[in-house]
Amino acid sequence: MTTTAPAERTVHPEKSEASRTPILRTILLRQETWLLAVVVLIAVVASIRNPNFMNPDNLVEILRGSVIYFIMGCGAALLVIGGGLDFSVGAIFTISALVGTSLISQGVPIILGILAALAVGALAGVVNHLIVTYWHVPPIIATLGTFFIALGLSALITGGNDVVPLPADFMKLGQGSVLFIPNVIWYGLIIGALFYFVLERTRFGINVRAVGGNRQAAVGNGLRVVRIDLVLYILAGVTAAIAGMIYSARVGAGQVEAGGSSVTLVVVTGVLIGGVSLLGGLGSITGVAVGAVLLSVIDNALIVAQIPPQYNNVVVGAILVGAVAVDHLRRKQLYKPR
Amino acid sequence: MSTTPALELRAVRKSFGPVAALSHVDFAAYPGEVHAIVGDNGAGKSTMIKIVTGIHRGDGGAILVNGEEMELRHDASQSQDRGIAVVYQDLALVECLDISTNMALGNLPYRWGVFLDRKRMDAEAAAALKDLNARVGDVRTPVGLLSGGQRQVVAIARAVRMNKPIILLDEPTAALGVQESAYVGRTLDRLRADGKAVICISHDLEFVFKHSDRITVLRLGKTVGTRTTADVSRDEIISMITGATPADTLQEAS
Repeated sequence: MTTTAPAERTVHPEKSEASRTPILRTILLRQETWLLAVVVLIAVVASIRNPNFMNPDNLVEILRGSVIYFIMGCGAALLVIGGGLDFSVGAIFTISALVGTSLISQGVPIILGILAALAVGALAGVVNHLIVTYWHVPPIIATLGTFFIALGLSALITGGNDVVPLPADFMKLGQGSVLFIPNVIWYGLIIGALFYFVLERTRFGINVRAVGGNRQAAVGNGLRVVRIDLVLYILAGVTAAIAGMIYSARVGAGQVEAGGSSVTLVVVTGVLIGGVSLLGGLGSITGVAVGAVLLSVIDNALIVAQIPPQYNNVVVGAILVGAVAVDHLRRKQLYKPR
Repeated sequence: MSTTPALELRAVRKSFGPVAALSHVDFAAYPGEVHAIVGDNGAGKSTMIKIVTGIHRGDGGAILVNGEEMELRHDASQSQDRGIAVVYQDLALVECLDISTNMALGNLPYRWGVFLDRKRMDAEAAAALKDLNARVGDVRTPVGLLSGGQRQVVAIARAVRMNKPIILLDEPTAALGVQESAYVGRTLDRLRADGKAVICISHDLEFVFKHSDRITVLRLGKTVGTRTTADVSRDEIISMITGATPADTLQEAS
């Protein structure tokens, strides 16, 4: 039995150590604080080198670039907070978009095509869950396996050809705008709000944190952990499918080359940079949003400021390592045996 | 004392592969008593609790709650439904969640079907802690920031708050200071006064003799016997624990 209880302790119940925690430390330990500082820093440097960076069109472009990763990040973040991990999201993105766009291009009503894509994403989530739960394959391996399977199937069902043309009505979904804000950004806002609400304000969200924060305790309190795992893998798959369809509508094609390993890596990186703990329990949707925007800002700023793209990877890598180091500090606070 | 035990185990068995953790456990706890379970390391105390709570599944025997048999295969929420609240040795608290969330976990309050009722959660947690004279600070404090003693208090308060007729505590005083142990003892006394069946696994014989009404001794997965605390000496219990005294053949003490 693992015991969080310490060997020896002296307690002064009236003088709760926690109630004296400085507010400053609390703020510094929030990942968003650091990330926003980095975003501002990059923005300042970039606008000094090229004032066009602050152009409203460019700012909208930055947000638009972050939406795909943010939407996938919402599902992935919930899963990681719940103690899981999904490396297959990049391939689920690809295969569900290809299934959805293929159906739509063959005349199936748009809404049914979208639902079919979501069903593929959900199915991939179920498969991941079954492998992890019943075959006891560690999530990182299980989802790496389904990643390759889904990517292989994508190439097989399309014969390696992109799905074109797509109906104009479908492309409008990804290219239009409402109230001067592109649809794509609206999708991100709606899905982000939904996930924020679920994580912070519902029983399911709290249970997810409990399962990821201390699985044994969750079991002891009567939570149905296996069912929660299942829902989490499905959500990760479905958000990947949503992102795949939005991307296809935006570019006007079901692309075989879209998604894949680069998308998986960016999503997982964004989630971790956003302050979601790989060990579960900790993390927030706002953090993931800032993480996704940060990645997009770096991309954009380096182009606008004409810095060679190799620097992009160096900067992202450094921020990732820094973010996970901060996460370690947070965990040390919370999980210190006392 | 009522005639139907609140919780009864009859000839419960459990093996982990070739290792028999429990070979024959008989046990009965009545409403309004504090019943201690003692035994050496490996006697099967924790396994016994885990079978009652459904974390492990018994291989044979029967578990009866208020005279009604409970399936050996059940989960923690089912044992809660049957009226059993548990304080696990590892406390089963989630470090990254705050006190009030931990206290409501598994039974979170709701408003309009979807919204988590934070206000009610905080108020109930604060009330439950106040009721137990526990001072652990703000209920929004993450449990991970609490000391071990404070965590123990939160875990006990959670079980008390459930207001179940049977309350099981696994080593509630292990690693507690003198003051905190006394606090836990007073809490047990109060639960007994409320007519609950309080079952307490403990290594701490001083604590057991001070607060229990009866003591059941386990040794190597078997019930050695049950004694009324007032009629038994500490040496006698120790010799039952170590095996110097053979097991009762007929064990319906008191």
